[in-house]
Amino acid sequence: MTPTDIIATLWVWTPFLAGGFLWNILISLAAMLIGTLPGIVLARMRLAKRQSLVQTSLVTTELMRNIPTFVFLFYLAFLIPVEFEFAGQVYAFPAWLKAALALSVAVVGFVSDNLYVAWRHWRAGDHAAALLLIPNWTGYLLIIVMASSTASVIGVDEIVARCNVIIAAVGRDELMLWVYLYAMGYFIVFCFPLSRAMEAVKNRMQARVTSVLSQKEGAGS
Amino acid sequence: MRHSLTLVLVGLLAFASLFAGQAARAERLDLIHKRGILIVGVKADYPPFGMRDANGQLVGFEPDLAAELARRLGLGLQLTAVTSTNRLQKLAEGAIDVVIATLGDTPQRRRIATLIEPHYYVSGVTVLAPPGARLSSWADLRGRKVCATQGAYFNREMAQRHLLDLQVFSGARDSRLALRDGRCIAWLYDDTALASLRLESDWADYRTPLPSTLVSPWAIAIAAAESGSRLERALADAVAEAHRSGWLKDAERRWNLPPSPFLADAQQRWTRIGADGQPICARLASGEWPAECRDASRLTSTEVSGLHRFGLLIRERTGLDLTFVYDPYDRSQFLRGIWLTVQLLIACIIGSLFVGCLGALTAESGIPFLRGWVWATAAIGRMAPPLLLIYVVFFGVGHLVVTRFGWTVDGFLVAAVCLSLYAGCSTVFALLDASAVLKGRQPDFTLRWKTLPQALRLAYTPVVAILINVVKATGMASVIAVPELISASTAIIAEHGNTGVMINVLMLIYFLLVLLTVRLFAVIERRVLQRDPH
Repeated sequence: MTPTDIIATLWVWTPFLAGGFLWNILISLAAMLIGTLPGIVLARMRLAKRQSLVQTSLVTTELMRNIPTFVFLFYLAFLIPVEFEFAGQVYAFPAWLKAALALSVAVVGFVSDNLYVAWRHWRAGDHAAALLLIPNWTGYLLIIVMASSTASVIGVDEIVARCNVIIAAVGRDELMLWVYLYAMGYFIVFCFPLSRAMEAVKNRMQARVTSVLSQKEGAGS
Repeated sequence: MRHSLTLVLVGLLAFASLFAGQAARAERLDLIHKRGILIVGVKADYPPFGMRDANGQLVGFEPDLAAELARRLGLGLQLTAVTSTNRLQKLAEGAIDVVIATLGDTPQRRRIATLIEPHYYVSGVTVLAPPGARLSSWADLRGRKVCATQGAYFNREMAQRHLLDLQVFSGARDSRLALRDGRCIAWLYDDTALASLRLESDWADYRTPLPSTLVSPWAIAIAAAESGSRLERALADAVAEAHRSGWLKDAERRWNLPPSPFLADAQQRWTRIGADGQPICARLASGEWPAECRDASRLTSTEVSGLHRFGLLIRERTGLDLTFVYDPYDRSQFLRGIWLTVQLLIACIIGSLFVGCLGALTAESGIPFLRGWVWATAAIGRMAPPLLLIYVVFFGVGHLVVTRFGWTVDGFLVAAVCLSLYAGCSTVFALLDASAVLKGRQPDFTLRWKTLPQALRLAYTPVVAILINVVKATGMASVIAVPELISASTAIIAEHGNTGVMINVLMLIYFLLVLLTVRLFAVIERRVLQRDPH
């Protein structure tokens, strides 16, 4: 295949790949939402007065942190039924939701840890430091977007799975390198600017935190 | 804490298995009629039986058969691509109603799925070898690297019989590419698929020098629980009718397959008329086919004794199928999987640290432009999903290397390098951040080989978090046929259908490996902190 052929083929399949990438973003957002709610509960429990609550939260958080997502993806894919009947209706349990669930496990651990820190800052009146949670959370979303590419191994119709469809449909092995590189481009183009923006926000907030701290110190001395 | 964690995990697993056991008990055919659509799993990588056309649609002999069956049942049709590894799994979990995916009929598979009789095709096993290979008998392959496709029923039988060093890839495409790139001297696969592959111009030089063996009939499969159901009966009647009317022979011709004696025999058998003027092959009062209409060719089941018998006893009593304990082949496969995962884990930790330190030292070396270059590379590397990176390096770069220099790139190495690069890029930033903090404390600080431990000590927490993440991601090596723990487990599941047990054991072992790594780093941290002068 000549470079023109390759570019022409990639161009033809671009809408198909872009549609796949939308799935990646959807899965990631779903994972963040699903994971954040239990994460909030765990973080709140860590601030409780009762030691048993704190201990339970710590154990659960560590569990969530250490579950290997990639293996867990297989785990859910194998163990959750695909369709179930409830009150005479057939409901589907789609593969993308399984992927979101698997990815959300890491989010639970992340939110539990970060929100706990933020909450303590907030209570201490250090609101600026607490707000660092927002860029951190968005930064984590990007990590999950990258991890969502693994959903292809359980048959979710996202961008990597669509790469394989294209390669099979075009039937040219030398296209593989370019299709995969092109798909990688989607992730980089999406994640890179967002990650830079979040870092900039974080730096500005951190600068404010430091200035607030130094003002306080100045006032104290 | 460790104890309670394990307890929690075991509890979760038990809960999940309970969930998994709740498969619907009602007849599948009712569910299908409610839906109005028959969902059929077919191959996407097995021309001309199941493949994708230029628009990405699934076409071939088997999709046609699926459409014919749906038509006879008065249903709409939805095709889903399946692989040899996941087809029976998807069937068991209910993602698809029917599998028509080049599935050979074996006693093993009859235990985990309901196979429809009559059969609709037959195939045997042979190898495809490059033009130069000198192979005249199966014995010539002893101890040699032979590519194979995961989930094929004959892999294990052939590996044991001829002592092959199988390199098992996850799909036909990957096995094909591996053969072309010289990762093995031959590819062990169905003779029908290899014959049609040789019709393509790229493969015309390749040979199938060995006689076909393990000839086995192909069956349509439905879930194990559907044995004796109306769905089974309806499908069997439809296939019998496809033999009688010559539909299967027409389809064979349409897809340019060489005429198979099996289909000719079957048509004759199913259209025979008895002395009473009635067809011989009609259902008996019991609902069964007469014995003379059924296929006599069956693979013999393996001999059972000792630990194996004990394992089967456990399965009968408790339903737990611990093949990886009692079956010597599965056991060695599984232990090798654990060992490879441990090796991969160590390689990735060392590799990530190496890439991270090298990157940070280069960035801080003071050579103009180098800092910006390292920074940009690491920033982009951090944003490239490791799974895609593995595909790019293994299939894309690996192919270039083999055509230019004749070197084959090992899958283990590719996985270790890609994961190390990914985690290494994040490590670079952790170290550069630490270096910036140190510069704030001591204005004359520069990051050099000698001062590296200082930066590592400061960046310990983020770096360890990165390393734990790469350990959790080592399973990705399974996508390029590294026979690590996930590959070993899914291969065992594909063969025995003991999903619940295997997947729980896999999860537990992986979790313990991660936990072990976490503890190890905690111990190191304590030692380091004790020695820390600050």
